[in-house]
Amino acid sequence: MNDQTIPPAAERAAALQGLGSSRKRVEDARFTQGKGNYVDDIKLPGMLFGDFARSSHGHARIKSINKEAALAVPGVIAVLTAEDLKPLNLHYMPTLAGDVQAVLADEKVLFQNQEIAFVVAEDRYAAADGVELIEVEYEELPALVDPFKAMDDDAPLLREDIKDKMDGAHGPRKHYNHIFYWEEGDKEGTDKALAESDVVVEELITYPRCHPSPIETCGCVASMDKINGKLTIWGTFQAPHAVRTVASLITNIAEHNIRIVSPDIGGGFGNKVGVYPGYICAAVASIVTGVPVKWIEDKIENLTATAFARDYHMTGKIGATKDGKITALSCNVLADHGAFDACADPTQFPAGFFSICTGSYDIPVAHCGVDGVYTNKAPGGVAYRCSFRVTEAAYMIERMIDILARKMDMDPAELRMKNFIKKEQFPYTSALGWEYDSGDYHTAMEKAMETVGYKALRAEQVENRAAFARGETRALMGVGVAFFTEIVGAGPVKNCDILGLGMFDSCEIRIHPTGSAIARVGTISQGQGHATTFPQILASEIGLPAEDITVEEGDTDTAPYGLGTYGSRTTPVAGAAAAMAGRKIRAKAQMIAAYLLEVHDGDLEWDVDRFQVKGNPEKFKTMKELAFAAYSQAIPGIEPGLEAVSYYDPPNMTYPFGAYICVVDVDVDTGVVDVRRFYALDDCGTRINPMIIEGQVHGGLTEALAIAMGQEISYDAMGNVKGGSLMDYYLPTAVETPVWETDHTVTPSPHHPIGAKGVGESPNVGGVPAFSNAVNDAFAHLGLTHTQMPHDHWRVWQTAQRLGVTG
Amino acid sequence: MELNAEQKIAATREQVFAALNDPAILMQCIPGCESLEKESDTEMTATVVLRVGPVKAKFKGRVELSNLVPPESYSIRGEGAGGPAGYAKGGADIKLLEDGDGTILQYDVKADVGGKLAQLGGRLIDSTAKNLSGKFFAKFCEIVEADLGVDTQATISEAPVAADSKAGRSLSPLIWVVLGAGVLALYFAFS
Repeated sequence: MNDQTIPPAAERAAALQGLGSSRKRVEDARFTQGKGNYVDDIKLPGMLFGDFARSSHGHARIKSINKEAALAVPGVIAVLTAEDLKPLNLHYMPTLAGDVQAVLADEKVLFQNQEIAFVVAEDRYAAADGVELIEVEYEELPALVDPFKAMDDDAPLLREDIKDKMDGAHGPRKHYNHIFYWEEGDKEGTDKALAESDVVVEELITYPRCHPSPIETCGCVASMDKINGKLTIWGTFQAPHAVRTVASLITNIAEHNIRIVSPDIGGGFGNKVGVYPGYICAAVASIVTGVPVKWIEDKIENLTATAFARDYHMTGKIGATKDGKITALSCNVLADHGAFDACADPTQFPAGFFSICTGSYDIPVAHCGVDGVYTNKAPGGVAYRCSFRVTEAAYMIERMIDILARKMDMDPAELRMKNFIKKEQFPYTSALGWEYDSGDYHTAMEKAMETVGYKALRAEQVENRAAFARGETRALMGVGVAFFTEIVGAGPVKNCDILGLGMFDSCEIRIHPTGSAIARVGTISQGQGHATTFPQILASEIGLPAEDITVEEGDTDTAPYGLGTYGSRTTPVAGAAAAMAGRKIRAKAQMIAAYLLEVHDGDLEWDVDRFQVKGNPEKFKTMKELAFAAYSQAIPGIEPGLEAVSYYDPPNMTYPFGAYICVVDVDVDTGVVDVRRFYALDDCGTRINPMIIEGQVHGGLTEALAIAMGQEISYDAMGNVKGGSLMDYYLPTAVETPVWETDHTVTPSPHHPIGAKGVGESPNVGGVPAFSNAVNDAFAHLGLTHTQMPHDHWRVWQTAQRLGVTG
Repeated sequence: MELNAEQKIAATREQVFAALNDPAILMQCIPGCESLEKESDTEMTATVVLRVGPVKAKFKGRVELSNLVPPESYSIRGEGAGGPAGYAKGGADIKLLEDGDGTILQYDVKADVGGKLAQLGGRLIDSTAKNLSGKFFAKFCEIVEADLGVDTQATISEAPVAADSKAGRSLSPLIWVVLGAGVLALYFAFS
């Protein structure tokens, strides 16, 4: 009954464009034609616009707010201040880290550009005019900008609202500006091992405050339908379901009466995980006025008020035997969280997964401790294109390994090879308690070194240094090696939750009668290409072509509950859910096939896109045929239809890794660092779409370049935020970006249904130490131990001058 | 920010000192100055419209004079605010040195700038300050050097020399601020 000419399995598999296919991104058709639908594209009838009046001061008491002049501006409808929100109990909102944050400044401002008043007007011009006319009278208070002074006896008291609450969300607070202390590992054992080590190096490694700076800023449109009582918010949300639950908890609006929609998002990188005052104010304004209200940040507001990243001050200490075997690692961190603790970490991990700081190395004993403190800076502490605090941890250990190598006069690559966790040790439990699922570090490192010709590079560097000493060149060559291990895919519900919500994820699949499908997932793409890659996972699982599968996500009324997209969790968690849901579809299809082929279901086997009778491949039913049968035939004991849902609670995190090598030439007279070569080898397990992986790695490396070479949000002594505009904040363009060489090994995750591990953030985690190690390496022979990021021209020149080699 | 500089003016110290005390002259010299009023012999208020890069705002401020030693030196302190655009506060020490027939005016300004102005970064503020002080001195020299007239002389001759005397001491702090630097300028703007 079937056609005799069955195409070979490989040919049929290729036609599906499943796992491993470099399928073109289906979403690019609209993005490249300017047809994306971003939040600021949403225009509703009668929509009003909101804009914030913000604090000029880093720390001040508000003596008065006069909104009369603003209200007199034609078109201005209303001005909200904390006084207006207090009766609704909305002048403070909970943060994801268990703290509260002022929605509108309540009596005090705690950071420059803090939200003070929300001006609602008929258009954004009138709103902006109104903002200009809000008169705020301040009594200036001393600003606290140095985190190392936060816990001084005479430090200014920042958070008067919680000054008597010495029991914080993560245990006791030591000082009124202290947030939490969190530690992991064996302190006593580590101290003892360090004391007994032949060699010990210690260094303060600072990862400066920077900002994810997505091209699209944060924003929303809130619309309260007073007839049916339903509040809809379209916004730049990386975690729409979590936003709905939080919105319900803080507004007391029933959760079924709240609909959160994330439309197209122009980059997130962690900046769009949190809940911001703009969302609350727009929602309140819509409830009050009965019409939709839009709020969109401008670039300065985005850089200075919503969710910064990093600001970790890490004192690392590492010990080794005289032949270079690492004996112990300790790391004490001072974490500057700004005025409110608005980190977006799983609840039980106030310092994220910083305890991955033993990196890729077999370190027998370790300890890390993190103190979080308040300062007069913007709140945040999000994972900027990385899993929670993993990039800080990777930067610390990768700099410390280089510093140890320098101290021991060993090659940094050789020292790494000597201390790697060996392939046969996996699954490996680190000294700080993580179970690394899989890895093959030596193979990856050897491949990287061989590809770049590492030995030849070092020989060339020796020549370069001699030539420099002879005065024949003014450029110093630096070679940066970094080998990182990430921990991504949060995560197992047993220990990963956000505000009590388990960090599982979900997928719901409906197969249509004609054999096409829609898959809905609990995540939301911000450019990662979900519409392309989820269908690839499903194509391989259910045998329908990827092009016949639509992906829908981001609308809480239709998508299954999930915790969103950040921390490289989409593929490890929602990708697994998709595979598992696909397997449920296939299981039902197998029953249908058994009925149609009149055999026992155990006599069938799956073959790419069909079930065939074992030993008789010419007797088969394709998935497309089975889909139609599911809707057209009465099959005893089987419900009609072909749908499945999976909620996937991962048994473990995944541990992608990679070997990066960077070669730079530093002009000592100008401080200009020329990236001559950058090679990135990533092992993200099973590769779903190699082209998208390459794109992810290019983007991540470009952000790593930006962070290592220039990005910094700093504050002056008065609490003025510096670097808050693109005049000062470094966003590399094609001009500054070098050519990236990408490569890979494949070590599948043993516990993930398809063996995938996640890749979007790896290049940021590994790229930053590779750049920084290269710049430090360029000066290493002159006695430099460590110079802090960012390595912009000015700082690099200062380093050269300090070492006495400038012209 | 800090700024130290000097300016040579083809007039005597007394003439320069007097001109610096003349609100009418100051108003003409301070770029964007909309009003300048003496509240007392040692206090002035002013309104100045300033533009620094993308930030344009009207600053209102006040300054106070101290350590007056006419015609040799004085100090000014002041602060001003420009609403959402920011604020500034600081001071300047001014010295007038004899230089043949002319005068060398030295100024040493220290000012703190906050709000949006400060966020724009030192580059713009410095260049704006330089630009504003350049404009101020060009105009000031033009007026003083062209108009070494009776009025100025009269003012000077009436000015008490004693340090404790209050008369004739109201040098315009605004000017200094403006002179001082962009920052100053800004700062002045308020002042």
